[in-house]
Amino acid sequence: MAEKNDDECLVNQFNQGNDSAFDGIVKKYSADVAVLANRLLGWPGDVEDVVQDIFLAAFVGLKKFRGQCSLKTWLFTITINKCRSYRYKQMLWRRQTIPKRSFRLPQDRPADRELMDSETFNRIRRAMMALPAKYREPVVLRYLQELSTTEISRILDISENALQVRLSRARERLRRDLAELIEQ
Amino acid sequence: MTEERIKNLLQKADEIAGQPEPIFVDISAVRRRARKKRLASLAVPLTAAAMLLVALGIWKFVAKTGETVQEQEKIASLQAQIQQLQARTDATLRLIQEVLEDERRQRRLNELQTELANIPDPLEEIQKQVDNTAFILVYQADRMYRELNLKDTAVQAYNRVIELFPETRWADVARQRLSEIQKNYQKKDSKGDLLWKPQNAPLFS
Repeated sequence: MAEKNDDECLVNQFNQGNDSAFDGIVKKYSADVAVLANRLLGWPGDVEDVVQDIFLAAFVGLKKFRGQCSLKTWLFTITINKCRSYRYKQMLWRRQTIPKRSFRLPQDRPADRELMDSETFNRIRRAMMALPAKYREPVVLRYLQELSTTEISRILDISENALQVRLSRARERLRRDLAELIEQ
Repeated sequence: MTEERIKNLLQKADEIAGQPEPIFVDISAVRRRARKKRLASLAVPLTAAAMLLVALGIWKFVAKTGETVQEQEKIASLQAQIQQLQARTDATLRLIQEVLEDERRQRRLNELQTELANIPDPLEEIQKQVDNTAFILVYQADRMYRELNLKDTAVQAYNRVIELFPETRWADVARQRLSEIQKNYQKKDSKGDLLWKPQNAPLFS
Protein backbone atom coordinates (compact mmCIF):
# COMPACT_ATOMS: atom_id res chain seq x y z
CA MET A 1 0.00 0.00 0.00
CA ALA A 2 2.85 2.31 0.91
CA GLU A 3 4.55 1.33 -2.31
CA LYS A 4 1.44 2.24 -4.27
CA ASN A 5 1.20 5.58 -2.56
CA ASP A 6 4.84 6.19 -3.28
CA ASP A 7 4.26 5.41 -6.97
CA GLU A 8 1.22 7.67 -7.11
CA CYS A 9 3.24 10.45 -5.53
CA LEU A 10 5.99 10.07 -8.11
CA VAL A 11 3.49 10.02 -10.97
CA ASN A 12 1.70 13.06 -9.65
CA GLN A 13 4.94 14.96 -9.26
CA PHE A 14 5.89 14.04 -12.80
CA ASN A 15 2.53 15.10 -14.13
CA GLN A 16 2.88 18.43 -12.35
CA GLY A 17 6.02 19.08 -14.36
CA ASN A 18 8.64 17.75 -12.01
CA ASP A 19 10.79 15.72 -14.38
CA SER A 20 13.11 14.60 -11.56
CA ALA A 21 10.26 12.41 -10.28
CA PHE A 22 10.98 10.20 -13.23
CA ASP A 23 14.48 9.61 -11.88
CA GLY A 24 12.88 8.04 -8.84
CA ILE A 25 10.74 5.78 -11.01
CA VAL A 26 13.79 4.70 -12.99
CA LYS A 27 15.82 4.01 -9.86
CA LYS A 28 12.99 2.01 -8.36
CA TYR A 29 12.03 -0.15 -11.34
CA SER A 30 14.96 -0.25 -13.75
CA ALA A 31 16.35 -3.45 -12.23
CA ASP A 32 12.99 -5.26 -12.32
CA VAL A 33 12.38 -4.10 -15.85
CA ALA A 34 15.87 -5.18 -16.91
CA VAL A 35 15.39 -8.64 -15.34
CA LEU A 36 12.06 -9.13 -17.04
CA ALA A 37 13.43 -7.96 -20.39
CA ASN A 38 16.41 -10.28 -19.96
CA ARG A 39 14.10 -13.23 -19.32
CA LEU A 40 11.70 -12.40 -22.13
CA LEU A 41 14.53 -12.04 -24.63
CA GLY A 42 16.10 -15.40 -23.70
CA TRP A 43 18.74 -14.26 -21.23
CA PRO A 44 20.96 -12.36 -23.64
CA GLY A 45 22.61 -10.53 -20.75
CA ASP A 46 22.77 -7.17 -22.42
CA VAL A 47 19.38 -5.53 -22.46
CA GLU A 48 20.41 -1.92 -22.03
CA ASP A 49 19.01 -0.74 -25.36
CA VAL A 50 15.64 -2.32 -24.69
CA VAL A 51 15.51 -0.89 -21.17
CA GLN A 52 16.34 2.57 -22.53
CA ASP A 53 13.49 2.21 -25.01
CA ILE A 54 11.15 1.02 -22.26
CA PHE A 55 11.85 4.03 -20.08
CA LEU A 56 11.61 6.33 -23.05
CA ALA A 57 8.12 4.97 -23.75
CA ALA A 58 7.31 5.34 -20.06
CA PHE A 59 8.55 8.94 -20.02
CA VAL A 60 6.43 9.79 -23.06
CA GLY A 61 3.34 7.91 -21.86
CA LEU A 62 3.44 8.57 -18.13
CA LYS A 63 1.06 11.51 -18.44
CA LYS A 64 -1.52 9.10 -19.82
CA PHE A 65 -1.10 6.73 -16.86
CA ARG A 66 -4.39 6.80 -14.94
CA GLY A 67 -3.43 4.55 -12.03
CA GLN A 68 -5.90 1.80 -12.91
CA CYS A 69 -3.11 -0.68 -12.22
CA SER A 70 0.14 -0.43 -10.32
CA LEU A 71 3.04 1.43 -11.88
CA LYS A 72 5.02 -1.82 -11.90
CA THR A 73 2.30 -3.59 -13.85
CA TRP A 74 2.14 -0.70 -16.27
CA LEU A 75 5.93 -0.77 -16.73
CA PHE A 76 5.84 -4.55 -17.21
CA THR A 77 3.20 -4.09 -19.92
CA ILE A 78 5.49 -1.65 -21.68
CA THR A 79 8.36 -4.12 -21.22
CA ILE A 80 6.34 -6.92 -22.80
CA ASN A 81 5.45 -4.73 -25.79
CA LYS A 82 8.99 -3.43 -26.24
CA CYS A 83 10.44 -6.94 -26.04
CA ARG A 84 7.98 -8.12 -28.68
CA SER A 85 9.01 -5.23 -30.94
CA TYR A 86 12.70 -5.87 -30.24
CA ARG A 87 12.40 -9.57 -31.10
CA TYR A 88 10.41 -8.78 -34.20
CA LYS A 89 13.02 -6.27 -35.37
CA GLN A 90 15.79 -8.77 -34.63
CA MET A 91 13.98 -11.43 -36.61
CA LEU A 92 13.60 -9.09 -39.57
CA TRP A 93 17.23 -8.04 -39.35
CA ARG A 94 18.37 -11.69 -39.25
CA ARG A 95 16.18 -12.57 -42.21
CA GLN A 96 17.72 -9.78 -44.23
CA THR A 97 21.33 -10.17 -43.22
CA ILE A 98 21.88 -13.83 -42.34
CA PRO A 99 21.17 -16.72 -44.73
CA LYS A 100 18.50 -19.13 -43.52
CA ARG A 101 20.89 -22.04 -42.98
CA SER A 102 23.07 -20.06 -40.66
CA PHE A 103 20.12 -18.82 -38.59
CA ARG A 104 20.64 -19.64 -34.94
CA LEU A 105 19.21 -18.74 -31.63
CA PRO A 106 21.22 -16.30 -29.50
CA GLN A 107 24.71 -17.55 -28.87
CA ASP A 108 24.97 -20.23 -26.23
CA ARG A 109 26.38 -19.08 -22.96
CA PRO A 110 28.58 -21.15 -20.71
CA ALA A 111 26.61 -22.36 -17.74
CA ASP A 112 27.62 -22.97 -14.21
CA ARG A 113 28.47 -26.68 -14.21
CA GLU A 114 27.69 -27.09 -10.57
CA LEU A 115 24.05 -26.18 -11.01
CA MET A 116 23.31 -27.31 -14.53
CA ASP A 117 25.50 -28.27 -17.40
CA SER A 118 25.82 -26.05 -20.38
CA GLU A 119 23.94 -28.38 -22.67
CA THR A 120 20.93 -28.55 -20.36
CA PHE A 121 20.86 -24.79 -19.98
CA ASN A 122 21.04 -24.27 -23.71
CA ARG A 123 18.27 -26.82 -24.30
CA ILE A 124 16.02 -25.02 -21.86
CA ARG A 125 16.91 -21.72 -23.43
CA ARG A 126 16.22 -22.98 -26.95
CA ALA A 127 12.94 -24.51 -25.82
CA MET A 128 11.93 -21.21 -24.28
CA MET A 129 12.91 -19.19 -27.31
CA ALA A 130 11.11 -21.65 -29.59
CA LEU A 131 7.87 -20.87 -27.79
CA PRO A 132 5.69 -18.29 -29.48
CA ALA A 133 5.56 -14.97 -27.65
CA LYS A 134 1.99 -15.52 -26.54
CA TYR A 135 3.13 -18.68 -24.62
CA ARG A 136 6.58 -17.54 -23.56
CA GLU A 137 5.36 -14.35 -21.92
CA PRO A 138 2.91 -16.05 -19.52
CA VAL A 139 5.56 -18.63 -18.64
CA VAL A 140 8.14 -15.98 -17.81
CA LEU A 141 5.69 -13.90 -15.82
CA ARG A 142 4.26 -16.89 -13.96
CA TYR A 143 7.28 -19.12 -13.27
CA LEU A 144 10.17 -16.65 -13.25
CA GLN A 145 8.60 -13.39 -12.16
CA GLU A 146 6.15 -15.33 -10.01
CA LEU A 147 3.35 -12.87 -10.53
CA SER A 148 -0.24 -13.70 -9.74
CA THR A 149 -2.56 -14.76 -12.53
CA THR A 150 -4.57 -11.58 -11.96
CA GLU A 151 -1.52 -9.43 -12.49
CA ILE A 152 -0.39 -11.42 -15.49
CA SER A 153 -3.81 -11.24 -17.13
CA ARG A 154 -3.79 -7.49 -16.54
CA ILE A 155 -0.29 -7.10 -17.99
CA LEU A 156 -1.07 -9.22 -21.03
CA ASP A 157 -4.59 -7.81 -21.28
CA ILE A 158 -6.20 -11.22 -21.47
CA SER A 159 -8.69 -13.04 -19.29
CA GLU A 160 -7.49 -15.40 -16.57
CA ASN A 161 -9.03 -18.35 -18.41
CA ALA A 162 -7.15 -17.43 -21.54
CA LEU A 163 -4.01 -17.15 -19.44
CA GLN A 164 -4.56 -20.64 -18.03
CA VAL A 165 -5.06 -22.02 -21.50
CA ARG A 166 -1.88 -20.40 -22.71
CA LEU A 167 0.09 -21.61 -19.72
CA SER A 168 -1.24 -25.10 -20.24
CA ARG A 169 -0.25 -25.10 -23.90
CA ALA A 170 3.15 -23.64 -23.10
CA ARG A 171 3.74 -26.37 -20.53
CA GLU A 172 2.69 -28.95 -23.07
CA ARG A 173 5.25 -27.71 -25.53
CA LEU A 174 7.97 -27.47 -22.95
CA ARG A 175 7.15 -30.97 -21.74
CA ARG A 176 7.52 -32.22 -25.26
CA ASP A 177 10.76 -30.33 -25.91
CA LEU A 178 12.31 -30.99 -22.52
CA ALA A 179 10.89 -34.48 -21.94
CA GLU A 180 14.23 -36.04 -21.06
CA LEU A 181 15.10 -33.34 -18.57
CA ILE A 182 11.67 -33.50 -16.93
CA GLU A 183 11.84 -37.28 -16.55
CA GLN A 184 15.27 -37.16 -14.92
CA MET B 1 4.21 -32.47 -10.79
CA THR B 2 5.25 -31.66 -14.33
CA GLU B 3 4.45 -28.01 -13.75
CA GLU B 4 6.69 -27.97 -10.70
CA ARG B 5 9.44 -29.70 -12.64
CA ILE B 6 9.21 -27.23 -15.48
CA LYS B 7 9.18 -24.38 -13.04
CA ASN B 8 12.30 -25.72 -11.35
CA LEU B 9 14.09 -26.17 -14.63
CA LEU B 10 13.24 -22.68 -15.74
CA GLN B 11 14.24 -21.15 -12.45
CA LYS B 12 17.50 -23.05 -12.48
CA ALA B 13 18.21 -21.85 -15.98
CA ASP B 14 17.35 -18.32 -14.96
CA GLU B 15 19.62 -18.63 -11.99
CA ILE B 16 22.46 -19.82 -14.17
CA ALA B 17 21.88 -17.05 -16.68
CA GLY B 18 22.16 -14.64 -13.81
CA GLN B 19 21.12 -11.08 -13.54
CA PRO B 20 21.53 -8.84 -16.53
CA GLU B 21 24.42 -6.44 -16.60
CA PRO B 22 23.77 -3.43 -14.43
CA ILE B 23 21.65 -0.99 -16.34
CA PHE B 24 22.37 2.67 -16.33
CA VAL B 25 19.32 4.42 -17.66
CA ASP B 26 20.51 7.75 -19.01
CA ILE B 27 17.65 9.98 -17.95
CA SER B 28 18.94 12.98 -19.86
CA ALA B 29 19.19 10.83 -22.99
CA VAL B 30 15.66 9.60 -22.34
CA ARG B 31 14.45 13.20 -22.02
CA ARG B 32 16.33 14.18 -25.15
CA ARG B 33 14.87 11.30 -27.10
CA ALA B 34 11.42 12.03 -25.72
CA ARG B 35 11.72 15.62 -26.90
CA LYS B 36 12.81 14.39 -30.32
CA LYS B 37 9.94 11.95 -30.36
CA ARG B 38 7.51 14.70 -29.44
CA LEU B 39 8.93 16.87 -32.19
CA ALA B 40 8.72 13.95 -34.59
CA SER B 41 5.14 13.31 -33.52
CA LEU B 42 4.41 16.93 -34.36
CA ALA B 43 6.61 17.01 -37.42
CA VAL B 44 5.13 13.91 -39.01
CA PRO B 45 1.54 15.19 -39.23
CA LEU B 46 2.81 18.64 -40.13
CA THR B 47 5.01 17.22 -42.86
CA ALA B 48 2.17 15.02 -44.01
CA ALA B 49 -0.15 18.03 -44.09
CA ALA B 50 2.48 20.05 -45.95
CA MET B 51 3.00 17.23 -48.42
CA LEU B 52 -0.74 16.91 -48.80
CA LEU B 53 -0.98 20.61 -49.50
CA VAL B 54 1.88 20.44 -51.97
CA ALA B 55 0.29 17.42 -53.62
CA LEU B 56 -3.02 19.27 -53.73
CA GLY B 57 -1.29 22.26 -55.24
CA ILE B 58 0.47 20.10 -57.80
CA TRP B 59 -2.77 18.32 -58.56
CA LYS B 60 -4.57 21.63 -59.02
CA PHE B 61 -1.72 22.95 -61.14
CA VAL B 62 -1.75 19.80 -63.25
CA ALA B 63 -5.54 19.97 -63.54
CA LYS B 64 -5.26 23.64 -64.50
CA THR B 65 -2.52 22.84 -66.99
CA GLY B 66 -4.73 20.08 -68.32
CA GLU B 67 -7.57 22.57 -68.66
CA THR B 68 -5.21 25.02 -70.32
CA VAL B 69 -4.06 22.32 -72.69
CA GLN B 70 -7.68 21.48 -73.44
CA GLU B 71 -8.45 25.16 -73.98
CA GLN B 72 -5.39 25.48 -76.18
CA GLU B 73 -6.52 22.46 -78.15
CA LYS B 74 -9.98 24.00 -78.46
CA ILE B 75 -8.49 27.29 -79.57
CA ALA B 76 -6.27 25.53 -82.07
CA SER B 77 -9.27 23.60 -83.38
CA LEU B 78 -11.30 26.80 -83.65
CA GLN B 79 -8.41 28.55 -85.36
CA ALA B 80 -8.19 25.71 -87.85
CA GLN B 81 -11.94 25.95 -88.46
CA ILE B 82 -11.67 29.72 -88.89
CA GLN B 83 -8.82 29.26 -91.33
CA GLN B 84 -10.88 26.73 -93.28
CA LEU B 85 -13.86 29.08 -93.32
CA GLN B 86 -11.61 31.94 -94.37
CA ALA B 87 -10.19 29.85 -97.18
CA ARG B 88 -13.71 28.91 -98.28
CA THR B 89 -14.80 32.55 -98.09
CA ASP B 90 -11.77 33.62 -100.09
CA ALA B 91 -12.54 31.01 -102.72
CA THR B 92 -16.19 32.10 -102.86
CA LEU B 93 -15.15 35.75 -103.10
CA ARG B 94 -12.76 34.92 -105.91
CA LEU B 95 -15.53 33.06 -107.70
CA ILE B 96 -17.93 35.97 -107.20
CA GLN B 97 -15.30 38.40 -108.47
CA GLU B 98 -14.70 36.21 -111.50
CA VAL B 99 -18.45 36.02 -112.18
CA LEU B 100 -18.77 39.80 -111.75
CA GLU B 101 -15.77 40.34 -114.01
CA ASP B 102 -17.35 38.06 -116.62
CA GLU B 103 -20.62 39.94 -116.32
CA ARG B 104 -18.77 43.24 -116.62
CA ARG B 105 -16.92 41.99 -119.66
CA GLN B 106 -20.14 40.69 -121.14
CA ARG B 107 -21.81 44.04 -120.49
CA ARG B 108 -18.88 45.87 -122.02
CA LEU B 109 -19.00 43.55 -124.95
CA ASN B 110 -22.70 44.19 -125.38
CA GLU B 111 -22.09 47.92 -125.17
CA LEU B 112 -19.34 47.70 -127.71
CA GLN B 113 -21.52 45.59 -129.90
CA THR B 114 -24.27 48.15 -129.52
CA GLU B 115 -21.83 50.93 -130.28
CA LEU B 116 -20.55 48.97 -133.18
CA ALA B 117 -24.06 48.42 -134.31
CA ASN B 118 -24.69 52.14 -134.00
CA ILE B 119 -21.67 53.08 -136.09
CA PRO B 120 -23.08 53.92 -139.58
CA ASP B 121 -21.97 51.96 -142.58
CA PRO B 122 -19.23 53.99 -144.35
CA LEU B 123 -20.41 52.77 -147.68
CA GLU B 124 -23.85 54.00 -146.90
CA GLU B 125 -22.36 57.28 -145.71
CA ILE B 126 -20.35 57.63 -148.86
CA GLN B 127 -23.43 56.71 -150.80
CA LYS B 128 -25.34 59.37 -148.92
CA GLN B 129 -22.57 61.89 -149.53
CA VAL B 130 -22.54 60.94 -153.18
CA ASP B 131 -26.28 61.22 -153.21
CA ASN B 132 -26.18 64.61 -151.51
CA THR B 133 -23.50 65.86 -153.87
CA ALA B 134 -25.49 64.66 -156.86
CA PHE B 135 -28.58 66.31 -155.39
CA ILE B 136 -26.73 69.60 -154.85
CA LEU B 137 -25.42 69.51 -158.40
CA VAL B 138 -28.85 68.80 -159.79
CA TYR B 139 -30.38 71.49 -157.58
CA GLN B 140 -27.85 74.09 -158.66
CA ALA B 141 -28.30 73.09 -162.30
CA ASP B 142 -32.06 73.42 -161.87
CA ARG B 143 -31.69 76.90 -160.42
CA MET B 144 -29.26 77.94 -163.10
CA TYR B 145 -31.63 76.81 -165.76
CA ARG B 146 -34.91 77.92 -164.30
CA GLU B 147 -34.03 80.99 -162.33
CA LEU B 148 -30.99 82.28 -164.22
CA ASN B 149 -31.83 80.78 -167.54
CA LEU B 150 -28.30 79.52 -167.98
CA LYS B 151 -29.19 76.62 -170.12
CA ASP B 152 -25.69 75.61 -171.19
CA THR B 153 -24.22 75.74 -167.71
CA ALA B 154 -27.19 73.76 -166.48
CA VAL B 155 -26.81 71.19 -169.23
CA GLN B 156 -23.14 70.89 -168.36
CA ALA B 157 -24.05 70.40 -164.72
CA TYR B 158 -26.65 67.73 -165.56
CA ASN B 159 -24.14 65.97 -167.75
CA ARG B 160 -21.61 66.15 -165.02
CA VAL B 161 -24.01 64.52 -162.57
CA ILE B 162 -24.71 61.78 -165.11
CA GLU B 163 -20.99 61.34 -165.65
CA LEU B 164 -19.89 61.43 -162.02
CA PHE B 165 -22.85 59.75 -160.34
CA PRO B 166 -24.35 57.55 -162.97
CA GLU B 167 -25.76 55.01 -160.47
CA THR B 168 -27.69 57.53 -158.37
CA ARG B 169 -31.31 58.51 -158.85
CA TRP B 170 -30.09 62.08 -159.41
CA ALA B 171 -28.40 60.88 -162.55
CA ASP B 172 -31.87 59.78 -163.71
CA VAL B 173 -33.25 63.19 -162.67
CA ALA B 174 -30.44 64.89 -164.57
CA ARG B 175 -31.24 62.77 -167.64
CA GLN B 176 -34.91 63.66 -167.28
CA ARG B 177 -34.05 67.37 -167.07
CA LEU B 178 -31.82 67.14 -170.11
CA SER B 179 -34.62 65.46 -172.09
CA GLU B 180 -37.07 68.09 -170.84
CA ILE B 181 -34.68 70.89 -171.86
CA GLN B 182 -34.30 69.30 -175.22
CA LYS B 183 -38.09 68.99 -175.67
CA ASN B 184 -38.70 72.53 -174.42
CA TYR B 185 -36.29 73.95 -176.84
CA GLN B 186 -38.02 72.20 -179.67
CA LYS B 187 -41.59 73.39 -178.72
CA LYS B 188 -42.44 76.96 -179.82
CA ASP B 189 -45.69 78.80 -179.83
CA SER B 190 -47.32 80.48 -182.76
CA LYS B 191 -45.21 83.54 -182.26
CA GLY B 192 -42.17 81.49 -182.40
CA ASP B 193 -41.43 81.73 -178.62
CA LEU B 194 -40.59 78.75 -176.43
CA LEU B 195 -43.63 77.47 -174.55
CA TRP B 196 -41.78 75.93 -171.63
CA LYS B 197 -40.39 78.21 -169.03
CA PRO B 198 -38.11 76.62 -166.64
CA GLN B 199 -39.18 78.83 -163.65
CA ASN B 200 -42.73 77.64 -163.88
CA ALA B 201 -41.95 74.03 -163.42
CA PRO B 202 -41.31 72.67 -159.88
CA LEU B 203 -37.83 71.55 -159.19
CA PHE B 204 -38.80 68.28 -157.55
CA SER B 205 -41.96 66.41 -157.69
